[in-house]
Amino acid sequence: MSNLRQDDMFTPEVIADPYTYYGRLREEDPVHWNEKYELWVVTRHDDLVWLTRHHELFSSAVFKNDPRPAYPAIDESDLGLYDYVRNYQGDQFIQHDRPDHLEMRKVVHGYFTPKSLEEWRPFVQKAVKQLLDAVEDKGRMDVMRDLATPLPVLVIAEMMGVPEPDRPYIRQLAEKLLYIGRGEADRMKPLTDGMKGMIEYVSPLVDERIVNPAGDFISVLANGERQGVFTRHQVLVNTSLLLLAGHETTINLLCNGTLAFIRHPDQWAKLKEDPAGGARLATEECLRYDAPVKSIQRIASQDVEMRGKVLRKEDRVRWFISSANRDPNKFENPDTFDIARWPNQHVAFGAGIHHCLGATLARVEGQEVFKALAERFPGIRLDNEALEYQPSITFRSLKSLPIHWQ
Amino acid sequence: MGRKLRIRIDHNTCVGNAMCETFAPNAFRLNDNRQSEVVDPSGDSEEKILEAAVNCPVSAITVEDAETGEQLFP
Repeated sequence: MSNLRQDDMFTPEVIADPYTYYGRLREEDPVHWNEKYELWVVTRHDDLVWLTRHHELFSSAVFKNDPRPAYPAIDESDLGLYDYVRNYQGDQFIQHDRPDHLEMRKVVHGYFTPKSLEEWRPFVQKAVKQLLDAVEDKGRMDVMRDLATPLPVLVIAEMMGVPEPDRPYIRQLAEKLLYIGRGEADRMKPLTDGMKGMIEYVSPLVDERIVNPAGDFISVLANGERQGVFTRHQVLVNTSLLLLAGHETTINLLCNGTLAFIRHPDQWAKLKEDPAGGARLATEECLRYDAPVKSIQRIASQDVEMRGKVLRKEDRVRWFISSANRDPNKFENPDTFDIARWPNQHVAFGAGIHHCLGATLARVEGQEVFKALAERFPGIRLDNEALEYQPSITFRSLKSLPIHWQ
Repeated sequence: MGRKLRIRIDHNTCVGNAMCETFAPNAFRLNDNRQSEVVDPSGDSEEKILEAAVNCPVSAITVEDAETGEQLFP
């Protein structure tokens, strides 16, 4: 659109405040062609819901089917590494369409039902308590470093059945995998290091679980290999999918949510009145107001018309959760952070057949963290107002979130 | 013939994931708006219907015994 002064989603302004830019697109050109990155930008709530529910029109096999190069651009010397990433990511079950997607999802879904994920709550409570105990006397922490980053890794390591002494190593790998959503030109190196490290680490665990299945997630995937649904490479990359999909997203929920509370003292006061009772709806509002994932990509499987525009086969299509969650046609006072909001049909977890498998776990982690913070550190404040975000189009990720309560 | 079931779907919660249709295709179908609808509460076995309810990723499905009102899920 010519009247958007700079049609670039990676400028520091748009990274710092995506809501103004995507909000304007939502009003003026809701199905927008971005020339610079050659992709469609879809920003309205109803369009997003329609698109995610028409999986036959929009392929999730993005890494296999995207004919265009990586964006933002990567170092030319790293093109070989990008092929490695495409092959690695492309084998994850979420990067498949029906019917394969359904067969793969059936293997893992039992592990992720709301009921089975709810059973992780006591583990999450204990982990939150330990992490907060460790910082209590200091009177300050970096929410990112001390709470939001380690918590999901503790949970995922337990799900994978990783022995205690190996957990710091898994955390190192997890931090390298985070480069998947970043914009730096040299991001392929640390990312592929993390991917190769994961394959190397997980391979012997899979060998072992094929023979001696246990109750952990790797055993579930190994069982899929025995049934002929997964290849060995798919078992390996889907193990790291757990770390990829469950880590950054949860970090962002915990950090962005904590920040929203600090910036809205009235809502923080409301949660403090009843932390146990209020945490559930409050977590939903955190997911809506400053969603952990900003956008997700598909590839058009055929020519599709949306709002008078023709999306051509093989075009990139990105749907923006952060904009749909602020759509005034869906939410009253969409830019207001209101922890009692109900109903709250945000699309933070997507919709349709690819709706987030781990949603219940993310909710449990959010609820337990916000509740514990409200109970234990009611006086939290920012160390300084200036905060920086990672240059990512996919994730709404703070770089750090230093706070204090004494 | 098993007992009669009453199945409810919360359309504020349903995200059109279609897991219900996968587990109990004769009981559930997505409508034009891709929201789950109960087309026949006795179209599949109680076991399949409960499996569909348990596996709904957003827990939008409630199942009751139609005669006694006993809640079977959640």
